[in-house]
Amino acid sequence: MAPRSKPLMRDLPTTLDLLTLARELLRDELAPLLPPERQRDAHLIATAMAIAAREATAGEGWQREIEEALSDFYAEAGKGRLARFAADLRNGAFETSPSRAAAARAILWRLTIEKLREGNPQFLAANGLSDAGRQGQ
Amino acid sequence: MGLGDRQVALAQFLAEASDAEQVEIARIALLPGGAIQENWGIDANFEGGRLAGQQRLVLRTDALTGVPSSLGRLEEFAVLRAAFSAGVTVPQPLFACDDAAVVGKPFLVMRRVAGSAAGRPITLDPSLEAVRSALAERLGRELARLQTIRPPRADLAFLSPYDGPAGQIAEFRAYLDRHPNPRPVLEWALRWVETHRPDPLPPVLCHRDFRTGNYLLDGIKLSAILDWEFAGWGDPDEDIGWFCCKGWRFGRLDREAGGIADRRHFYRGYEAASGRQLDPERVKFWEVYANIRWAVIAMQQSDRYLIGGARSLSTAITGRRATECELELLMLLDPDGAAKQAAYA
Repeated sequence: MAPRSKPLMRDLPTTLDLLTLARELLRDELAPLLPPERQRDAHLIATAMAIAAREATAGEGWQREIEEALSDFYAEAGKGRLARFAADLRNGAFETSPSRAAAARAILWRLTIEKLREGNPQFLAANGLSDAGRQGQ
Repeated sequence: MGLGDRQVALAQFLAEASDAEQVEIARIALLPGGAIQENWGIDANFEGGRLAGQQRLVLRTDALTGVPSSLGRLEEFAVLRAAFSAGVTVPQPLFACDDAAVVGKPFLVMRRVAGSAAGRPITLDPSLEAVRSALAERLGRELARLQTIRPPRADLAFLSPYDGPAGQIAEFRAYLDRHPNPRPVLEWALRWVETHRPDPLPPVLCHRDFRTGNYLLDGIKLSAILDWEFAGWGDPDEDIGWFCCKGWRFGRLDREAGGIADRRHFYRGYEAASGRQLDPERVKFWEVYANIRWAVIAMQQSDRYLIGGARSLSTAITGRRATECELELLMLLDPDGAAKQAAYA
């Protein structure tokens, strides 16, 4: 988890600390008291809170990095490159150039791994990819 | 409104449909599961008629919001009846009704079969360890039996003719065009599917949701294959790819046949009963297709909140699972990239 910076003016504990405490309370103390048919709901709430906490921790850093990677890929700056990238992949635009195709795949891997790192890191780990994409970081 | 408010009309319908003098409903309760359909358990006493005596039934009807491409209940009833007649292990279909005056929406009624469909106990319960291979083989045989149902069939005339995956690819792309967030991995995989279509085989009846989580186990015995709402004519390998899709392995990713066994057990049952040898390349195509389809379905589940306004955390959060499918697509279609990623891990 990234180091937690002290807020400029907001009261402590931080949002992230509160989320973590709330999730622990739900998972460890409340969920066991629920009837079996509501256990899954408690699990879903805990999962949603965990995703929110991980996204809050990660910020927008990796999204900006992928935007930059797409700007490099297309050799032009600006936003909205992801939609163009998707359209080009639909049309097989990089299939005649092995180096472009490989560069495109590298962006796909990065995008997918970063999303799963926030959404479902257990799934990454179960696929042997828990630290994938962290090379050189 | 629940079905409890419609008991009188429902009892009258059941009596008329079964030629009973009277039907008394002792208990009616919503069964767990069923994101797209509601399943109601009914305990009823039939006085006379074809079902005379105590009966345990399931009434299946639409949930508040469905997803595109699911059959109506009367159509599902016809499919269930065809599968039952072909000897597939399914709950016996009894009645169907589209008169809104009975419970407010169309429904079907079938016998209630004992067992549990919950995926994780099936894949993880140690007491099932000794029977999982045999279960996979049995499911392969069940699938082969289902595929004896082939077009043309007057009773299934409502099913669209099958002309290969091109139409579905176009539908997936049309969906992605409407979706606010670009999905480059799905676009990349769809391009692969478009350019790697296998030679066609004669179409068969596909379940289209044949997987762990959609069959009932009563102890160690397969008691029913459920949820026929997506059935249609299709390629014989489509259900094979769906069954083996990683999204349906419930915590046992290593067991590629539905989280319960190695593929060879499932394949062996299917090949023995169908007399057709499976081609790994064909199955790979349909497994890639399965991951795309599951990703789109997951996104459509979230749409029920995003567009339909359904206040359900369960459906809203399911859209996140699309990225799991995208990882699997990358692993299937870029094994060198997967090895490189794993080397960093």
